Amino acid sequence: MSNTSKSLHTNLPALMLAAALTACGNGNTGIPNGDNPNPGDAQGECATKPTYTENVAACVPLATDYQPRVEGSANDSWAACISDDNTYHPIQESISTIARVEGFETIARLLWTPGKVPSPQSFVDARVKYAEAEGLDSRVQRREDIHHPPPANGAKCRDAGIPELYPDRCVGPAKLLPILNDAFVKGANNEQPLVQAARIEASLVWFLYVSALSEVTSCGDKLGDCDSAWAYYTGGTARAAPIGLARYVKELTPETHERAYDATLAVRCWRDLDTAVPAANTSLQFQARTQLDTALLRGMAVIVRQRFQELTCTSGDVKQARWTFLRVMVPLMDRAARELDATQADVLKAQVEKASPDEVDVPAAVAALDVLFDCP
Amino acid sequence: MTADSPDDAALPEGRATSSVRRSDLERRLPRSAPDALRFEPGVFVQQTAHGQGSAFIRGLTGQQTLLLFDGIRLNNSTYRQGPNQYFFTLDSHSIDSIDVLRGGGSTRYGSDALGGVILTRPLSLPRPGPSDEGLWARPRLRLRGASADREWGGRLQLEAGLGEKWGFIGGVGGRRVGLLESSGPVLNPIDGQLPEVPRFAPDGRTQLGTGFDELTADGRTVWHLAPGQRLTLAGYLYRQFDSPRTDQCAPPYAPHNECLRYEQQFRTLAYAAWDAEALGPWAHQARATLSWQQQHERRRHERPSSFVFLLGEDDVDTLGLTALAHPRPFALPGGLSLALSYGLDSYLDFLRSEATIGFSDLGISLPRSRGQYLDGSWYLHGGAFLEGELSLPQGVVVRAGSRLSWVAAHAPGDSESGSAPVERSWFPLVGHAGAEWTPVRSLTLLASVDRSFRAPNLDDMTSRQQTGPGFQFENPLLAPETATTLEVGVRVRTAPVSLQLWAFTSLLEDAVGKRPREARDCPPETPQCQASWSRFQLVNARELSVLRGLEASARLRPLPGLVSMASVAWTWSEGPNLSDPPSDPSLPFERRVPLSRVPPLNGTVELVWSHPLGLSAGGALRWASAQTRLALADRSDARIPLGGTPGFAVVDARLSYRRGNLLMIALVAENLLDSPYRYHGSSVNGPGRALTLSLEGALP
Repeated sequence: MSNTSKSLHTNLPALMLAAALTACGNGNTGIPNGDNPNPGDAQGECATKPTYTENVAACVPLATDYQPRVEGSANDSWAACISDDNTYHPIQESISTIARVEGFETIARLLWTPGKVPSPQSFVDARVKYAEAEGLDSRVQRREDIHHPPPANGAKCRDAGIPELYPDRCVGPAKLLPILNDAFVKGANNEQPLVQAARIEASLVWFLYVSALSEVTSCGDKLGDCDSAWAYYTGGTARAAPIGLARYVKELTPETHERAYDATLAVRCWRDLDTAVPAANTSLQFQARTQLDTALLRGMAVIVRQRFQELTCTSGDVKQARWTFLRVMVPLMDRAARELDATQADVLKAQVEKASPDEVDVPAAVAALDVLFDCP
Repeated sequence: MTADSPDDAALPEGRATSSVRRSDLERRLPRSAPDALRFEPGVFVQQTAHGQGSAFIRGLTGQQTLLLFDGIRLNNSTYRQGPNQYFFTLDSHSIDSIDVLRGGGSTRYGSDALGGVILTRPLSLPRPGPSDEGLWARPRLRLRGASADREWGGRLQLEAGLGEKWGFIGGVGGRRVGLLESSGPVLNPIDGQLPEVPRFAPDGRTQLGTGFDELTADGRTVWHLAPGQRLTLAGYLYRQFDSPRTDQCAPPYAPHNECLRYEQQFRTLAYAAWDAEALGPWAHQARATLSWQQQHERRRHERPSSFVFLLGEDDVDTLGLTALAHPRPFALPGGLSLALSYGLDSYLDFLRSEATIGFSDLGISLPRSRGQYLDGSWYLHGGAFLEGELSLPQGVVVRAGSRLSWVAAHAPGDSESGSAPVERSWFPLVGHAGAEWTPVRSLTLLASVDRSFRAPNLDDMTSRQQTGPGFQFENPLLAPETATTLEVGVRVRTAPVSLQLWAFTSLLEDAVGKRPREARDCPPETPQCQASWSRFQLVNARELSVLRGLEASARLRPLPGLVSMASVAWTWSEGPNLSDPPSDPSLPFERRVPLSRVPPLNGTVELVWSHPLGLSAGGALRWASAQTRLALADRSDARIPLGGTPGFAVVDARLSYRRGNLLMIALVAENLLDSPYRYHGSSVNGPGRALTLSLEGALP
């Protein structure tokens, strides 16, 4: 989706900034919406969580976007397809990814339930879940970020020494895995458990994001991977009751969630229209992937935005946890931010490079996010 | 060497059989016991790992074929559907010969003998030489090296005796086997791409996930207690260490350092055998054995990048009892002769199984509620049989037999993993009948029908495991599968030529196969089942499965000292599609599909020239056509390239020199054309151009 004055694909930062400030009527002013800092509760949590009221009324879909919620896609540029009933129709009856997203939810309950400090045993239990055969760990280890070029000369991220040479592409083994390994160990040793939980949460949330896009890409060769793309976002659930990454997004920004869900249907629609293996209509594949990427990035940005805001009302280890989450997540988002607006990306980056959370200019960070990722 | 085992352990007469002798092993220098079967007609050896090997006989393998060692069953109740590694746990240096029965053999041998029976005979006691008076002993040393996998090792053997009263043969051996170098990748027929399995080193030839270490020890002693009575005590130890499962080291799409390896693959067999003659009219010859076998395996699946390891440890102790007797042949009116044999056997397995997950950076290891199997399970099976052979005039022989078996299985449940308890029992009745006619001295025509069975074992009913095609979970409600095999054969035996032709049809009733399952079918608390790309459960097919085939073998002596041998086998299979048809009837659905991993058309040619002074030279050709008829499970099995396994032809050259019983030198140059090749269903490509050298010497 885009606001009326721009295309998200032109990558014209100045134009985007102007458009965001003038046309995207989400009401963001750089100040948390109606949630002034409050002293927080006794455990360091916000007494009243900052709330975010989404307003994307000024954002309109791109001409290339698939819109199953609008008269069953009758008015968009997409041909009639299986997703037009606004429902995801799995290609395969069983989707193995769902078990991994359920594993994520189990880990979430163990480690980052609000108001609860995870025990060392919780970290061990969570790690057992994480390390199950064919579970999250097995996929983190092989996850690639398709936004970056693959290793040269046909090398693969799974090959010895390649993740170190191509850390951006080989994001799973090179960036996420070291954080996860370290956080599980420190958590099990009772070292700042909230902080370690936040590191794990941030890493896995980013894993879910890159996985959804990675699966859209591999779906060109393997039909069932489109189901995985849908499941990495939704956990294999309907729009109204998502789990995993979609749960995060829906809670904070419902329309962005709807847009992301639309995009998963776009992916399925592409594979309905293009059943060749390997895919023949790669431009339609790219179109669907871009729609999904835009919506997901907006979702990730709102998650990050919320954590920035919570810096203003948390204290102690809870605040450190929010800070840690941001210090993991924001650098991972830097590529997307920088492609859109290098200046705003620098603002964002500068905030998480501060020495402590108390030094963070939250309004500046929030404003940068709102400019960068204004529309889903 | 001379046999110290009676013919009781021999395979049935009038059937399709072949044998590998010690002299063949010395000439071919196989890497393992399974490798020794590569030239047997109708046998196709698959390798999931460099340190494993499983023989397909008439299209069946694993739990659907039966392994025997000196007449004692090696199969236990954890033998799984599909290939297994257990025949590899016989030390080829301690083998005297291997006999192969193709087709069913349950009447004599009980459960599992559907596709065939492999009967291995151990090295037998040497007779004392002219200078061996009183107590004598002869040490023997055998050294071996191979360039393809940088194997080096050997065996120190001792032969000893005290006149005709007592004899001993035993030895210790070991070898270290490195990464196996192939001739390069075997590409997917569909897209010309490199298959996920195996992984290669940067040289594009050396296969990762190969290599192992091995230690062996054995001892066999025979006392002649009294005239016609003999007591044998024997023990065989096999210890294999650090043998990666090639298709899981690394698994498809996984990082290079992830690996499932068999840290320990042990087998210990100890038995006592009592052989007697002339015990009475109903026991002209008799043999009884009491055996204990322990199979131990410890698997370690390691993900070093995450400091995660999954350990599985399974132990099966098997107590066995067999008794077999032959009455003196009965002379019947009209010059007819009736020979009978009868016996009973019973085996009892006790199973221990556990699994843990551990984190090396935390130094902790956590037990799981259950292992691959259910700890504390047991399995009892056995039977009694009677066989007869009636010799009629005009060169006609008629044979028939029957067996009543008993099978009982017990497994405790495990509520945490949602594993149901198992209490099952069966009493299968099987039999066979056949006839042969020898119209002229050199020609024999044979026909037989055999009904054999395999009762579901603990692996079928309780195991949960990641197999090649996907995650497989238990089915405690399985019924026995049976095979009815009709075969006809022709044997020609003349001085320069011997020839065998066989045609068979096997009808498998209630055949056990892998049925694709959905995530919702997974047992509770088994997230790795839901998270796997493919899931399977063993089920009984509701329609007949069919295996048909032709086998031919020939041995020709065109000139003195020159022998050529050739074999060819073709197997065709089909069974019901065990998956559900799609809900959309317009989608294609094959109602009947090929059975899993059935070998392609394949064959061998060997040429051997021998000089009386001990020098021998020759060559060999092994070939197979492409196999593109794949079962559903084959299509998700990374061991099979996309679209099937390409055909191949591999040429070997051999040279050997023997000086009596004291010196033996053999050299094999394998794969002279350096052709990339893979036996269908294998994770491992065959060795590239390489040399294998064996040196053996004994003190006079």
